[in-house]
Amino acid sequence: MRKVRNLVRIVILLGVLLLVFVSGCMPGMDGGCSGAQAQGWSGFAPYNGLICFGSMEGSVITLSPQARSEGKTFPAEAEWIYAIKTATPGSACGAMCAPSSAASGKGIYATPLVIGDLVLVGTYTGKIYALNANRGVVRWIYPREGFETVGAIVGNIVTDGTALYFGSANGKIYALDAVTGDFIWEFQSSDKIWTAPVLDNGIIYSGNYGGNVYAISAETGREVWSIKIPSAVASSLAVKDQLLYFGTFDRNLYAVDKADGTVKWKYQAGNWFWATPVIRDSTIYAACMDKKIYAIEAAGGKEIWQFEGDGQMVSTPAVTDKNVFVVSEKGTLYKLDITNGTKISSISVGYTVYGNPYAEGDMVYIYARDHKVYAVDTVKNTITWDFSSAIK
Amino acid sequence: MVDIWNVAILDPVLNGLIALSQMLWSNFGLAIIVLTIVVRIVLMPLTFRQTKSTKAMQELQPKMQELQKKYARDQKKLQQEMMRLYKEAGINPLGCMWPMLIQMPIWIALYQSIMQALAATPENLLILSQHLYPWDMVDQAIPLNENFLGLRLSQPDPTMILAILVGLTMWVQQKMVTPPATDPRQQQMSSMTTMMMPLMFAFFTLSFPSGLALYWVVSNIIGIIIQYFVAGGWGYFTFPSFRQPQAQTQPQSATQKAAEQPSKALKEGSDKKKG
Repeated sequence: MRKVRNLVRIVILLGVLLLVFVSGCMPGMDGGCSGAQAQGWSGFAPYNGLICFGSMEGSVITLSPQARSEGKTFPAEAEWIYAIKTATPGSACGAMCAPSSAASGKGIYATPLVIGDLVLVGTYTGKIYALNANRGVVRWIYPREGFETVGAIVGNIVTDGTALYFGSANGKIYALDAVTGDFIWEFQSSDKIWTAPVLDNGIIYSGNYGGNVYAISAETGREVWSIKIPSAVASSLAVKDQLLYFGTFDRNLYAVDKADGTVKWKYQAGNWFWATPVIRDSTIYAACMDKKIYAIEAAGGKEIWQFEGDGQMVSTPAVTDKNVFVVSEKGTLYKLDITNGTKISSISVGYTVYGNPYAEGDMVYIYARDHKVYAVDTVKNTITWDFSSAIK
Repeated sequence: MVDIWNVAILDPVLNGLIALSQMLWSNFGLAIIVLTIVVRIVLMPLTFRQTKSTKAMQELQPKMQELQKKYARDQKKLQQEMMRLYKEAGINPLGCMWPMLIQMPIWIALYQSIMQALAATPENLLILSQHLYPWDMVDQAIPLNENFLGLRLSQPDPTMILAILVGLTMWVQQKMVTPPATDPRQQQMSSMTTMMMPLMFAFFTLSFPSGLALYWVVSNIIGIIIQYFVAGGWGYFTFPSFRQPQAQTQPQSATQKAAEQPSKALKEGSDKKKG
């Protein structure tokens, strides 16, 4: 009978363990069994000596690095915060509201875009907000109606100065008037779009999760050409001269001819090229989820150097004249020599980082998963200030 | 500990599920159904043992009740007699639990795989990348198509149809194996337990991804089929009847049969002793 009692105890213990697993709270499990929430990972848009980003709490925030380094109370000087209102469809919330649900989350993935005195932000709740860059008040919202959405926006907005272009999780690419937010055209692709399009000489190029890459006329929204590749397009596209560059879920970095989509070369790594490739002069700097960043010849796809960090490289590197700044998912910022990939210095913020770093002068700004913006002095290799976006 | 779990159990099941989805015309719903069936087939010998063991234990229940009445004041003697009864019937009382324990990690891994493979948010997709094998078939399947029979497998079913199916199939399965108790107090407790679990899982279904609910429904249906064939019928489950019962002409129910068995066995036992 003692055996039976012991077994019953084991069964009860395993039952509790099962409940723990099922509820998604096993300690140490990535994101839990029920997965990580959509918190967002916006990068930074600079303007007038300020930096603007979308927060994990669903706000758009403009910071003054000067005011932050002086330790002033937020908001100081030209700083502001705009909290996007969300509500469950059916409730009274007004035209500025975005629909919310437990599944959708409130976070912002897209890096804001600044045109003149407008800050434009695409949200995961499926709206575009145009805010006054000086005061952070709403100029217009698209779609106009409160709970109407265009599907989750994860990729950045691009512009040619007169129109805005962005992709959405509903598989569409939209063109809106940059000043008024009026609808111009939409293009329906075959699958979900979680990446940003790229604009070059009047043509919009965009990839989707169906493994398609499209060239679309920016004026009319009509397809110029499209190609199908074996795997989904993981990264946003980059363009230089005659070639388009993008990463895919089959672990390749592709270079295709922008005139007709012919594949010119591809470079295979150990995991996905999720980050957008950065092109400087004749070299591509591509961060990869195999923990490495690769410098590759843009024309022929030959590797120049590679550097391995302490974690997956999810965010797009910031490239300056002399250095490449790349952040690992573990939160370590690496300062590399642009010519040979040698590590000059590294510093850890101690938290997971998915968002793109932004480099200005000696400073690099990072938005980590502890909801804090870190300003790193890359010469002194110290964190000079931090700012929590979890403010009321 | 988490690493060992991931490498040894979660990652193989997760990658298998994704590869299966690619083989089944990029249909993740079909992949869930097929993998659930495959896993249950692989575990069939264990399920058989568990079902047979449970059935044998249930058949002994009337005898056990008699022993409990007989030795109500002598717990030590009662335990000795119970162990003797198990031994005579060739049953290991732990036998019906081990198969269940062995199956548990596989069910948990299946559950986690479904949740992780669907990667509803960008963050989930990044987490998923850490678990994938460098197989072309897996690379080409990501991200998975979450639409199946009008459902979004990464989202809860808004129609409540799945919740009803989960609750109903689980209730039928439990009714098949739960003998009606003779004691009114036990009867009340037993019927509450039989109702609570299906209601709980139906409630979970309202907030969990429908891919998981699909797995529960398929798993329950397979369980019912196995139970039907191994136990030889619907067991203790009776279909609701709107006719007046005709006691004279109705065949004996499983409960009645079971209730008669101990008296027969005890009678045979006493005859042997007399002999």
